[in-house]
Amino acid sequence: MAELSDKEAIIRIRNGEIDYYSYIVKKYTTSIYRFIERKLFKKEEADDLVQNVFISFYKAIEKFDEKKPIKPYLFQIVQNELKMYFRSFKKDQPLDEQIISEIKQEDLKIEDLKSLNNLEREVFKHIGEGYSYEEIGKLFKKPLNTIKSIVRRGRLKLKKIYEKT
Amino acid sequence: MKKLEDKIIKKIYRMEAKKTIRQIISETLLIITITLFVVFIFTVIVEVLNDQASFDLFDFLRDDFEIIKANFFNNSLLFIQELPLPLTYILISLLLLLVWLLYIFIKNFNNIKNKIVSIYKFWLK
Repeated sequence: MAELSDKEAIIRIRNGEIDYYSYIVKKYTTSIYRFIERKLFKKEEADDLVQNVFISFYKAIEKFDEKKPIKPYLFQIVQNELKMYFRSFKKDQPLDEQIISEIKQEDLKIEDLKSLNNLEREVFKHIGEGYSYEEIGKLFKKPLNTIKSIVRRGRLKLKKIYEKT
Repeated sequence: MKKLEDKIIKKIYRMEAKKTIRQIISETLLIITITLFVVFIFTVIVEVLNDQASFDLFDFLRDDFEIIKANFFNNSLLFIQELPLPLTYILISLLLLLVWLLYIFIKNFNNIKNKIVSIYKFWLK
């Protein structure tokens, strides 16, 4: 198996001889591991990411063009895995009921609310009355995410007005 | 590094074993089901033809070659006209589907066999 080329290994794996995948794993694990380890500095997480990279490559092997070299393809998967890994650390900004609290209730004027459309105004009114987004969604027969979008749009409109004044 | 490599290979084998088993079971079940349907529809068609006495149209086959030659075309056409058409169409469609499935199964047979051998060798060592 030592004299095998990558192309031959890929063809054999496609033919169902999955034991040839160990050839690819053994050939590229060290370089991929070192690359990922330098970016993460955490051994356990590097282990997981290396595993994901090889599993993703195995799943994509049917589509892979065996005439092309494996290494750049593997590193492309590494890049994607790293992107996903770092994205998972990004703090999600929850769009909860407190989203309009940035604008104080007493600062709200009727004229300002006129810049909102009917639906936005109604939604804000209900939030002011203490309804949750889910309850508002049920009342207006709209999905929760739509209500969140309406609030976000309304909030941006109000913010613009407050920035002008 | 050896440990990590073994971990990856083990995961790949586990994943592939699950996939292969699922593929074998689903393909086999599909082929068996369609075959049963084909047999069922075929027996229904034979029953219908029996009730209509359509098979009598082929009684001339026991006669001389000249008579067979003279009547074969006409009687065959008559027989086709007497076939229950909706059931025949269903039967033909199912047969085509079955042939296509068998073709895929035979085409993938070598691949599946190699996978099973690899998995067997891996779990045995």
